[in-house]
Amino acid sequence: MHHANHFYGHAHVLARYAGLGDGHPPRINGYVQHGWNIGDGLAPGHPYAERTPSLLWSEQTRRRAWSLGRRNVTVIGAPFGYLLAMRAADQSQPPRAGTIWYPFHGWEGQHVKGDHQELIARIRDTEPGPVTVCLYWHEHRMRRVRRRYEKAGFRVICHGYRGQWWRDTDPLFLDRQLAELRRHARVASNRLTSAIFYGIVAGCEPAVYGDPMALAGEDPTFGGTARIRRQWPELHGEQVHLPTAVEIAHAELGTDHRYPPAALRELLGWTQSPDRAQPQLEAA
Amino acid sequence: MTAGTAPAVRLPGGEMLAWSDRPDEHADRPLAALAARLVPAGARVLLVGAHDPAVLDALAHARVTCLLRGYRDATAVTGRVDQVVVAGSAGLPADEQYDVVIAGVGLGAIESVEGPRLCWDELLARLAAALRPDGQLLLRVPNPLGLHRLVAGDAWYAGRADPEWTVDGVLDTGRPANLDQVRVRLATAGLRAGTCYAAYPRPDLTTALLATDQLSWRTTNALFDAVLHDACTSGFADRFVLADPARLAVDALHAGRAADLAPSWLVLARRTSASGSTPAPADMGEHVGADGLPVALVRLGEVGSTVVEVVDGPSGWHWHRPEPHARTEPHARTEPAPAPYAIRTAAHRDPAAPDGPVPDGRLLRSLLLDGCLRRDTPRLRHLLCGYADWLAGQADDGRLTGAVALAGAENLVVAGDRFAVLDPTWRADEPLPVDVVLARTLWRFSADLLTGGYAHPWTSTLDVAGLTVVLGGVAGRDLDRAVVEAAVETEAAVGATVRGLDADGPVRLAADLRAVTPTDPPPGPRSYQQLREAWLRQRDENTRLAAALRWTEELLASRERTLRLAEAKINLLSGTLGYKAARLAITPARLARRGARAATRRARAIVTRKERT
Repeated sequence: MHHANHFYGHAHVLARYAGLGDGHPPRINGYVQHGWNIGDGLAPGHPYAERTPSLLWSEQTRRRAWSLGRRNVTVIGAPFGYLLAMRAADQSQPPRAGTIWYPFHGWEGQHVKGDHQELIARIRDTEPGPVTVCLYWHEHRMRRVRRRYEKAGFRVICHGYRGQWWRDTDPLFLDRQLAELRRHARVASNRLTSAIFYGIVAGCEPAVYGDPMALAGEDPTFGGTARIRRQWPELHGEQVHLPTAVEIAHAELGTDHRYPPAALRELLGWTQSPDRAQPQLEAA
Repeated sequence: MTAGTAPAVRLPGGEMLAWSDRPDEHADRPLAALAARLVPAGARVLLVGAHDPAVLDALAHARVTCLLRGYRDATAVTGRVDQVVVAGSAGLPADEQYDVVIAGVGLGAIESVEGPRLCWDELLARLAAALRPDGQLLLRVPNPLGLHRLVAGDAWYAGRADPEWTVDGVLDTGRPANLDQVRVRLATAGLRAGTCYAAYPRPDLTTALLATDQLSWRTTNALFDAVLHDACTSGFADRFVLADPARLAVDALHAGRAADLAPSWLVLARRTSASGSTPAPADMGEHVGADGLPVALVRLGEVGSTVVEVVDGPSGWHWHRPEPHARTEPHARTEPAPAPYAIRTAAHRDPAAPDGPVPDGRLLRSLLLDGCLRRDTPRLRHLLCGYADWLAGQADDGRLTGAVALAGAENLVVAGDRFAVLDPTWRADEPLPVDVVLARTLWRFSADLLTGGYAHPWTSTLDVAGLTVVLGGVAGRDLDRAVVEAAVETEAAVGATVRGLDADGPVRLAADLRAVTPTDPPPGPRSYQQLREAWLRQRDENTRLAAALRWTEELLASRERTLRLAEAKINLLSGTLGYKAARLAITPARLARRGARAATRRARAIVTRKERT
């Protein structure tokens, strides 16, 4: 229904897992949570049709969403978890090395205020091996920002364009991210974000440190970075306790809440059998 | 009962000539089974009030005097008992004593409108006096605060029916209103209370007698859970009630209050030698197992089905079927009436079942409902995966036979990680695929969950088949709708066999099952609460659809705007010199490609013709 279902190729990943192939995914009957979230699972400001199902990542988010007045909320787990299930055996890769570092990003309409140079210095002081910096597509297109990290000797990459209004969605965004994560031993960021959780379940040691930076127009409704640090102190620091991090990551991504393909089709409203699916169906 | 000359109907005065209590033929089968246990051969029995004919049959080996108030009822028992007295309480023979007095329809059943009125204690005293020392009284006491009154659509205090020339209620302190008061009054009358049964589901219909002491402390017992649910669902079928009586009964069980909410009680009391003495506290307590009676007597299945007992033995509870004797099972059918088509059935009833130990644990249905209400998906996953694994572990070549293949969540007992079938009476005729067995159990549970209006962790957009598939996913199985459809077909075939439907029965039943929607009220009692919940679900669904429609309209308008802009841009660009030049440049290439395709088609046609020739 909502174009946010297509962000980062989430709908494409789910369609592939559900057995609908690589074509354009059918319409999802509900809102799929498109990023780790300390609110009700939906992005602030997104238009919401009353009682339309919210398809969330974790049980904690479901409880929170219910307490905030959302109904018809159910947990299906993060699309990244389904990608992991599809590519569980796809582990024949070179040994892991170095750190993949995700500087915090906003979306296209927001701007991050912070000292990138100071962050670069902190990364250099902390990370023991080679560093890959993954920039959001928006910042990756800013030559000035990109060059700063390149000059510091970091490898700079971008997983792709997340898409907007069903256009230019990169269906392989998460595939590329998973491949990169599996090349690295550590995953780090200056804020606790989806990428950290993805990295943990993909086998990286996590770290969250450095200036979390300020986001222009950041919605303080759910407590912002201060609350994140209060609620998940175990995941902050240059070194964190890995078993604890793994446990939290699995809970936050709802890996235990993943459904088999047929059940997922039912939950997403894809009740047609795969051979009757309409790959050309206009998605929403 | 002695044969010989037809006994005379004695009319000592006080009879109601035009009255009949018209007992239902199947209203009290468990009482009949209990009476058969209690009364030894040749015993003198006073049967107080008009009973289910099955009770008379169960006393065929005794010398029975029947005390009635309605003259018309005498014709039904004449020839079946030794003596019939139609007189109400006043006509009780003063000079006769009995080994057993059975007042299985309560003391009110001998209250005549003629003559002086006696209070409850006076009636009890008369019956106590009619007992020989150490004789036994089996007395039914209606519960003025029973489940039937809590769910009744009509107010008890309105009292419009013919028997309600006086309205008996909890305000009348002359009647006992709870079991403790019953015991005190029995003791005052020189009777010591023994085993006591909670009788469900209605005061005028008993399909289950459950020992009250066991009910009070075995609060999660699967047998009690299943029996109470079934008794209250079938006992109130198609009746208008305020709330689901089955839900209330099972909730009361879990709260340790199922005995307190029983619509009536059956109390067994023994006459003591010191009549009228104040009871010692110990005498007022229950004597668990002292009478050696079953902990439960249950009519399994539909009307006419047999009564089975649950007996407490050294190795725990076990099923016990009374000997198929005319006195206890006069009209019992161990098999349902054969279906007219009777060519091929999906299931058969094991005539020897239930037998053996009664599995101890909790009922899977209640555990699943609890998991759904608390949205405890890890717990649900554990339960359903365990169930699916248990099924798979018993399969032979992926197929299941016997009772396991037919037992749903309402007939499965869970103890830790172990599963067992509670009542293995019905068995599959042909082996069923494991996935179909699993899907059938999940479909039945899904239908109960959705139509019952229970909260659950999934979205309202799922229909019954969809939720079945999702539950299959929770069980770790990738069931699709084709398997669910096979499960519905199986459910229809089994249901038609169990109900004894005709050849078209499975087809009709399958159509009915497929038509069940989440916004339907559940089958069974017409509960106001559940009807309202069904209406609320419909309202919520309408709200959702209306909101989705608004959203779609807005989105459509937005996309149409975008399309218009794009078309305008194309039109604008198509008039430019660059566009025209590009078009001119591309045209030869397009014509060449078209020509090449035509040549390819022609070449293929020629090759094909040559191959044919």
